[in-house]
Amino acid sequence: METGWYPVALAEGLERGTSTGTRLFGSELVVWRDSAGASHVWEDRCPHRGMRLSFGFVRDNHIACLYHGWQYDTSAQCRYIPAHPDLAVPSTIRASTYPSVERLGIVWAYSELDSDAPAEITFAERSPVTPVRSLYVDASAAKVFDALVLAECPPLNNAGGATQRSRTDMLVSLRSGDDEILVAVQPLSDVETALHIVIAGSPDVHRGDSQKRVSAWGEALRREIEGAARHVGELRYEVAP
Amino acid sequence: MSEITLYDFELDENCYKVRLVLSVLGLSYRKVAVNMVPGREHLAPTLMALNPRGSLPILSDGEVVLSEAEAIMTYLARAYDHANTWLPVEPKAHGLVAMWLQFVIRDLDVAFLARRLAMFDEPGDEVALGVAARRAFRLMEDHMTAREFDRAAWFVGDKPSLADLALFPAIALSRDFGIEHEAYPALRRWMRRVRTVPGFMTMPGIPDYY
Repeated sequence: METGWYPVALAEGLERGTSTGTRLFGSELVVWRDSAGASHVWEDRCPHRGMRLSFGFVRDNHIACLYHGWQYDTSAQCRYIPAHPDLAVPSTIRASTYPSVERLGIVWAYSELDSDAPAEITFAERSPVTPVRSLYVDASAAKVFDALVLAECPPLNNAGGATQRSRTDMLVSLRSGDDEILVAVQPLSDVETALHIVIAGSPDVHRGDSQKRVSAWGEALRREIEGAARHVGELRYEVAP
Repeated sequence: MSEITLYDFELDENCYKVRLVLSVLGLSYRKVAVNMVPGREHLAPTLMALNPRGSLPILSDGEVVLSEAEAIMTYLARAYDHANTWLPVEPKAHGLVAMWLQFVIRDLDVAFLARRLAMFDEPGDEVALGVAARRAFRLMEDHMTAREFDRAAWFVGDKPSLADLALFPAIALSRDFGIEHEAYPALRRWMRRVRTVPGFMTMPGIPDYY
């Protein structure tokens, strides 16, 4: 795994006061948004007993473990232990965090845990963008990139000729005329990858029909990428009793 | 008025579907706890007389005796939901709700079997059931993703229906058989909405806090 910035969620899909578990190269992450609207990416592990924090719940600006209710503030410091309500929690009890930032309508995490000097993210903000969806594919990130370098930009409002493709780290741009979609690639494991897809352009223009078209394009791409892998599965089950 | 009786096993997701409908309709009923696992009481002669299939849930309401969760759900909606919101009368919405109920029975049965294998050690091919359950959840995810583009919150129409209640347990309980909710962002948002339905209740395996 190369150290750097990786997408972990679409920003809009992560509602205030909610959390979700995800993975980066097999490591488990919790992505959550506090009640003030800030997003956080942490190791998905309660320091107490190792329970996944994504199984817990967000209350105000704390995330609480489902197991014993230990609560962590937005700086990952444990603030409250229900079994010892009068205890001033020692500052050594804290969750491990990833540097994170929202850009292009996507939550990005820097892959080095507790890094205090993450590298600059290599691409600029573009706004506004219209979020489409996160798509989970049963294939390696390498296979996804192989498909993306051949993919056509789905026609939206201002299609114009051949698709121009470019890649910056985990971000792929597909452009045709004034239409552009951006695909951020999250390697979940060796055999699973998430694609976070947005349209460059205002939701006023793209909400609805363009979102549906790009989503259907993504589903077709997923079928194409998984096509080769699925045959192995079919063969396997054909010989099963 | 006759009393509604539900023959119920607390850990069974099909019994949970019926408890959900009874709860959202605000119906009072008598619950007969049946020890299905490990007791296998659902195969006792008294229950086999009510339901020769030997399955739960069973619901009786006066002369009416029904088995199969989705059949019981449609019965309760037709009998007691006089506004017809849970089982719409309008043909298109009715057809779509019926289609999703059929999806639950056919496509999502693998999730039920996967959970029975994981929880109760019943026979089954763990890998094949997991693959098929993920395929069904993906269809649900793609559907709710498309619904959100239309700013729609529910599987059918602009109100929650029996489709939402019947589809909810399999995905809400999927961690019981090792399928995380990571790959289903639209279903996560939809599950949070289902929890806001007046009368919603949980079952073991579905946390009260979320």
